Amino acid sequence: MLASPERREQRVGDNHAGKLLRSVEGAAYWAAAAPVLARLPAPIGYRMACWRGDCLFRCQSSKRANLARNLRLVLGNELSTAAAQQIARDWFRFDACAAIDVKRLRRSALPLRRLVAIQGREHLEGALAAGKGAILCSAHFRTCSSGFSVLHASGYPVTTIGRWHHNYTTGLSPAERWFWDRVYARPLRRHRQRPNIEPWPGRPEVAVLAAGALRANEVVTITIDAPPMDSDRVRAIEVPFLGGWARLLPGAVALAQVTGAPLLMGFLYREADYRHQVWEISAPVPAQGDAATVFGRCAAEVSAAIRRSPALWDFWNSTEDLTDLGLLRPQQDPSPARQAGLLPAGG
Amino acid sequence: METVIIDYISQELVPDPAVLPLASETSLLDSGVLDSLSLLRLVVFLEERFAVSIGDADLVPENFASVAAICEYLRAREPGAQGAARG
Repeated sequence: MLASPERREQRVGDNHAGKLLRSVEGAAYWAAAAPVLARLPAPIGYRMACWRGDCLFRCQSSKRANLARNLRLVLGNELSTAAAQQIARDWFRFDACAAIDVKRLRRSALPLRRLVAIQGREHLEGALAAGKGAILCSAHFRTCSSGFSVLHASGYPVTTIGRWHHNYTTGLSPAERWFWDRVYARPLRRHRQRPNIEPWPGRPEVAVLAAGALRANEVVTITIDAPPMDSDRVRAIEVPFLGGWARLLPGAVALAQVTGAPLLMGFLYREADYRHQVWEISAPVPAQGDAATVFGRCAAEVSAAIRRSPALWDFWNSTEDLTDLGLLRPQQDPSPARQAGLLPAGG
Repeated sequence: METVIIDYISQELVPDPAVLPLASETSLLDSGVLDSLSLLRLVVFLEERFAVSIGDADLVPENFASVAAICEYLRAREPGAQGAARG
């Protein structure tokens, strides 16, 4: 008896063999396909990346359902089922395009820089003119890592506070860590002023290293929407976020207050043609008020940016991260595919 | 030196009064007195108060493990300290 297409996809995508296949496909895409696509004319390269995204959207039913479910749980009634599916499809497309972005960082990053417009340079340059560096706050957008490298390649000395996830993800072999470092991190790292400052328990020097970069009048980037680690939970504060409340760390604001560096917000949006992108960098965030008030302003900017282009946000696929942020309740986990309306009745 | 540092940490950085009074051997990292941002505040204070520049290479837990360790680190950086140690 033939299973329905939806069921067949689930069987292929979710069992051990399916996971292995996805893992091999992902590695082959990053190591072999993306470098080739990044050398094609941009309209063709990004079009083909979107095809790959569409293909994964169709094949990975479980991931697709999880994305759509989380979107609807967090954004609530703002999204119809069709809208959630559209965003989920774009999420897969953006994921595939991100590999092309990284591979276009070759040499002086010109192949990618040609596709990225920077709006708000005057804010960044005005901040650096004061000589205390600048803190550029952003969100975990699919575009942000390569975007930080583009900023550096465009003449702004950029140092990033953030972890290379392949070094911390449990269950990866040393060979896998080496692989992802080579195909993903190395092209990004070539366009940074210093090695990433990586927060982790037992590394109290993070803020001092960031202050050192600011003293050298550099741009320190930080994505402020990360769920706090267990060791940092006591320092997290609750702020309005995406229509609910999220627990976030206001460390960027504290760093700004100690060093006197201005806080700017910046988001890199992908345009409708998928290949062009626009950095939108704001004027400094008003510093009046206590740390929680100032951080609330920053979080509101991040929240608005995610609403404007939800498919760019990394965390839709991670129920665990959304729960750690406080946007989902831990018990919200029954029958995800059916909740999102993606499985046919009885499927 | 030790009293100045203990006073600063006690008044500005200690999040939980239960750890007071602070002894010079109290572990600042393990007891949660110092996190990333409070270490930054402490470094800024030490640089201003004792006119030293603390480089990235010196930001190791051993140098900031306790008030006693901080004092030892600062004394080692005083002019002539290395010569005195050798001589």
